[in-house]
This record gives sequence, C-alpha cells and structure tokens, in this order.
Amino acid sequence: MTTTAATAATAATAVTAAGRARVACDSGRVTARLLWLELRHNAMLWILPAAVLLFWFTTYRTAMALPPLWNVRAATFQSGAVVDFITPVVGAAAVIGTRQARRRTTDLVSITSLPRSARLLVTWAATSCWALAGYLICLAATYGETAREASWGGPLWWPAVVAATSVPAFAALGLAAGTLVPSRFTAPVAAVVAFFVLALSTELIVGSQSYWQVLPLVTGPWDTGKDPGVATFYPYVPDLSIAQVLFGGGLTVAALAAIGLSGGRSWRRPRAVAAAAATCGVLMAGTAVALAGTGRLDAHGMIEIPALHDAASDRPLRFTPVCSGTAIPVCLNPAYAGYLPATVAALAPVVREIAGLPFAPTKISQVAAVYAQGPGNSVEISQEALPSPSGSRLLGMLLPDQLLGPPLSVAQFEANVRANTGPSVLAYVVGAGPHASAAQVAVWTALMNAAGRPPGAQPSGSEQVGNAQGTEQPAAALDPAVLAATRRFAALPVSARRAWLVRNLAALRAGHITLGQLP
Amino acid sequence: MNVEITRVTRRFGRTMAVRGITLTAGPGVLGLLGPNGAGKTTLLRMMATVVPPSSGRMRLLDRDPGLYRPRQEIRRRLGYLPQSLGYYPGFTIGEFVEYFALLKEVPPARMRTAVSAAIERVELGDQAKARLRTLSGGMLRRVGIAQAIVNEPDLLLLDEPTAGLDPEQRVAFRALLRDLGQHATVVVSTHLVEDVGAACARVALMDRGTIVYTGTPAELTARGVGHSSGDAPLERGYSAVLAAARS
Repeated sequence: MTTTAATAATAATAVTAAGRARVACDSGRVTARLLWLELRHNAMLWILPAAVLLFWFTTYRTAMALPPLWNVRAATFQSGAVVDFITPVVGAAAVIGTRQARRRTTDLVSITSLPRSARLLVTWAATSCWALAGYLICLAATYGETAREASWGGPLWWPAVVAATSVPAFAALGLAAGTLVPSRFTAPVAAVVAFFVLALSTELIVGSQSYWQVLPLVTGPWDTGKDPGVATFYPYVPDLSIAQVLFGGGLTVAALAAIGLSGGRSWRRPRAVAAAAATCGVLMAGTAVALAGTGRLDAHGMIEIPALHDAASDRPLRFTPVCSGTAIPVCLNPAYAGYLPATVAALAPVVREIAGLPFAPTKISQVAAVYAQGPGNSVEISQEALPSPSGSRLLGMLLPDQLLGPPLSVAQFEANVRANTGPSVLAYVVGAGPHASAAQVAVWTALMNAAGRPPGAQPSGSEQVGNAQGTEQPAAALDPAVLAATRRFAALPVSARRAWLVRNLAALRAGHITLGQLP
Repeated sequence: MNVEITRVTRRFGRTMAVRGITLTAGPGVLGLLGPNGAGKTTLLRMMATVVPPSSGRMRLLDRDPGLYRPRQEIRRRLGYLPQSLGYYPGFTIGEFVEYFALLKEVPPARMRTAVSAAIERVELGDQAKARLRTLSGGMLRRVGIAQAIVNEPDLLLLDEPTAGLDPEQRVAFRALLRDLGQHATVVVSTHLVEDVGAACARVALMDRGTIVYTGTPAELTARGVGHSSGDAPLERGYSAVLAAARS
C-alpha cells in the first residue's frame, strides 16, 4: 500500500515537473515570437542607420585619427558611442512607448492576458537589441581597426561594457517616458533632453570625487579625458566603470519598474514586485552615484574607488620594451612602438653628442606618468622614478603624448621631444640642475647648440619633461660671461670637445670647473 | 452564466455612464441596443476588463475580474473588438492577429492554426500578408474581428462590429455571430437593429445608463405593434420601448 502511494506521489511529481517544463517552454516560445514581431516593427531598426552614420562621422573618424593606443581609442569609443547612441535610442524607445496611445490600441492590448510588464519588457528588449546590434557593429569596427594598428596590448573591454550597459538603460528611460507621457512630442523632447542632460551634466564635474562622473560618457578624470598615459604601464582600473555599469543597471531596473508601477492604476493588482524592483533600481543607481563620489585620481591617472578597488590593478604590467639600436638605446613601452622612430630621430643629435661620455646614460627609457589631483579639475603630471640598480645610468623620459594636450603630428612630436627631452638628457649628463654652476650652464648650452638647438636655452633642472617647455630663457638673459664661454666651448672641434668632456666631466658635474677653465 | 452583473455603476468624474445595471448572459448572442450615449460602450469596456466598475458586483466566466489572477484567466478567454479599432499600420494581417494571439497566450502549438482559422473566418485568408495600412475600413473591421476571435473566446464582446462592412460582409458576419454564439457568450453592441434581429437570441436595450428592456428580438418586435416610429417592425419595437422608458 505504502509502495503504491509512493509510486503515485512520484508519478504526480513527475507530471507536475513535466507540466512546468512545458509551460516554461511555451512561455519561451511565445516570448521569442513576440520579440521577433517587435524586432520586425521596431522604430530603432529605422533609426539605426542614422545612429551608425552619426557614430562613423563623429566618433569613428575621430578615434582613427588618434594614435593606435587601446587606452585612447577605447576612451574615445566609450564617450562617443554613448553620445551617438543615446539620443536615437531614447527617441526610438519613446516612439514605441507612445505607440499604443498614438495608434489607439490601448484598450485592445490592455485586456490581453499577458502581463503588461512582460509585453513592455519584450518591447524594451527589441529596442535594446537593435541598438546593441548597431553598437556592436561600431565596436567591432573601432576595436577591429585598433587591433590591426596597435603595436601592443589588447582591447580594453570595460569602456565597451559601460557604453553597452548605457544603451538598454536609456532605452528603458525612453520607453518609460513614452509610456508615462504618451504624447506625439514625447519622443523628440525626450531625445533632446537626454542629449543635453548627458552633455551638460559633465560641466558639473569638479575633481576626481564628483558624483557626476558616474555618467557613462566619463572615461576617467574628466579633464584628462582620453589620456594616452594611462593603462599602458599599469592595468586599466575598472573601478569607475564598475560604478557606471551599476548605475546603468540601476537606471534600467528603475525605469522598467516605473512603467510597471504606472500600469493598471484603477485595478487592485499586486504592485509589490514593481515597487520592490523600483526600489532596487534606485538603490543600485544611488549606490553607484555614492561610489563615484568616493573616487580619487590614482597615481596612474585613473579613478580609484576604494570600495571597488582591486590592489592587483596597482601592479605594473609586464612588457618587453622596444628599443632603438642607437649608441644610447632609446626604449619605449611596446604600446608606443610607433613613436620610436620619431623619438630616436628627435634625440639623435643629443645622443651623438653624449655617446661614450663617462656620465652618459646607458639607456633612455620611457617611464609611466605620475598623476596628482590639483585644485578643481587640474591634474599635475610628473614622471615616475625609474627603478635602476645602483651604478647603472638609466634615464627616464615621458613622451609628449603622455602629457595632457591635443594629439601631435609627427613633426610636432619630434619638435617637442627635441625641445624637452633633449635638454633633459644633456642636463643629466652635465649634472645641470636648478643650482647649476655657470660652467655647467655654459657646457650644457654649448652642447645644446651643437645638437642643433637654437643658442641661448638654459637648463630647467627639472626632471619633469612636461614642464620643461617654457622654462628656456632667451640668449639675452644669459650672463655675458656665460654666453662667451658657451660660444667658446661650442666652437671647439667635436673631437676636442669630447676629449675635454671625457677628462673633466666629473669635475664639471661636481661644480669644480669655473667659466675660466672652459676651453 | 458567463456574465453576471449586479447593480453595476460606472462614473467618469461627474458623469454617471452606467447606473446600477443588472444583467446576466449565458452562451448565445446578446444584442446591446441603444441610442448614442446610452452607456453601451462603457458597459462593454467594463465587461472587457478595460475599466473596473465604480460600484456593484461583476462576475465574468465565473471569476471576479477585480482580482489579478482571475482577471488574467478571464482575459485569456476573452475577445474584444472596441468601437474604434486601433492598429499598427506596418503589421500585416497575419502579424497583427498573431500579435494578439501571443498577447492572449494562445498555446504555441495551436498558434499557427488559430491565426489562420481566425483570418479565414473573416474571409481575409488570401490577404494575410497585406499590410494594415493598405486595407479599407471594412477590411480593417474584419481584421479587428479576427484578433477578437483568435483565442476562441468564451466571452466575445463586439462594439459596433458591422460598422463599415458592406451588405454582403454583414450577412456573412451575422452567420459568423450565430456560429460563435453556439458555444460562447457573444455581446454585440450596435445601432443597427437588423443585425440584432438576424443574429441575436436575446436583446438588451439601454438608455441613459440603464437597461430598459431585455427579451428576445421577437418580443421587442411585438412591443412595436401600433407604434408609428420606425421603418421595420424591430425598429418600431425599439422606438416604442425607448419612448416608454422616457415617458
């Protein structure tokens, strides 16, 4: 008897399980078919070419004009894609949100048994699918071309994830706007408002602890923007990206729940789920905003959020530098390999002058930039100290592109290296610093002149190459005695100058040589 | 009874659209007659669960539409054609009917058959791939009927279903109504008394938010004997009952 009952119970359980599986399967098929219909008739499908075209025109061309560095291209992509896709997505979603009211199908669809929330979720999913499809095409084009051009490193996925998360989030906001305010003006107004809110709210970002940097178009410290100096020597720090993804997720949940809460106002219905989801969404978004507010600029140029930070991100990346075969090798991070010929060309005259001298550097290596938050949105950049074993003479340098400023052409880049790094290298050899002796200044200036620099520059004594510009002084400012000694020393034949330096460089560096002792 | 309505009222602000109506209906076709503003559409919208009653008790298909789950069950077995049919111009007839079949949770296994059958029943089978924007008013009305019957409803509510149909289509539609009424409760709101006479087993006449008459079309016709207003016997009955209700 007991066995029979147990068998019956087992059979009943099996039937129940089979029934549930069938219902789930049916539900999946219904959803898939509904999604297909929504995909076929979704406004985003028609707006998509415009969005992709906009992306190509404003973002892709900009990104491709920048150096093929993953950090620069990924940041450009994130900001650009967000701006390019948000407006069409919000507009399209709002159009679909107002569809029932515009087409007078509200009564027809509101009495169907499929829950309103499920129906709108499918609509939102269809809109997001098309937008994401277009987005992925843009991502593939940008990252594909970057992969082809980049000399080192791999795709930075966090910026892509942030932008991708913002697409469904803004689709949900647009759908909510269209559903809650079903007017013919809702879609254009929502699209324009989304664009301006997104673009103008970045004006409110001050410093690295701004809550506003949670917005998805922010890729790092707002004023450094697309900085080629980050994520090459150290890993990409995803803290801000994580907060932005959380924010996007929260917005999505809150917006979709708001649609659910607004439905069936006059019927008594369980709205607890929608209310709970809305609360969750708001909490998620709020948490993300709060986290963004605790951010700070880390030494490697990215926003670090203590609650999200992984200490592993602070460990330097391992890489094999690319080096020139010159007398004094010039070595760059492999990500910047494309810069090597221009850098070597710019430093060649200086290297020619100092190669073989006792205190000449054995290698000139590119180092990481070190960032510090200044007042407001200002950021100070210096160069990281080069870890070097005692006795070795490694000289660190920053490339101009690691500093803030517009991207440089090759000619501008070479001129910048010549103007800033060259003097620093010579100052390193001569030992010229802020308190350099008159003889050191004269020798340094003479070597600069010999290396093809216009006469009259003076060593800044700063190792901060980025600050070297503007510290040079015109020849008129030099003491006449120093100027005379400079001219005298520069007029020496190369072999005589080198021979003197080989003999006297140690004394010169120690400050024991006077102007009168210069040949 | 598929429809049990007891002292149901519906207010829109200060306007009382339906005033304490009591009505029951089982399988068969019930014609809802009445002048403009009588409250027919509001009554149908309440029965279609579009709007809840302001007061009174309503049970549809033996369920309380005021509760969420029973309402969902009612909606699964409900067909509704509103007076003003909205539609999506870019959809084809097939897609539009399938869309509503999906929203009404017609089982996927029966989906294709149900959609085809509904379209065939309104005689649009050869145009299933035509976009709705290309259809005439009468054809759109038939599409509306197709979406209403695609789930083989037990309660079918049709608001002015024959508006825009040509005479031949109206004859065919009446036959369809009679066929549907064999198993389901069909409530048809109309101005056209000849539709009621031809297709309805019962008729309810509404005026100023209340039901002033219920009976068979034959009984309504009998009420018109000796009444001069109206061209047809049923119209004379209709006019006589209205006049009596207003006197």
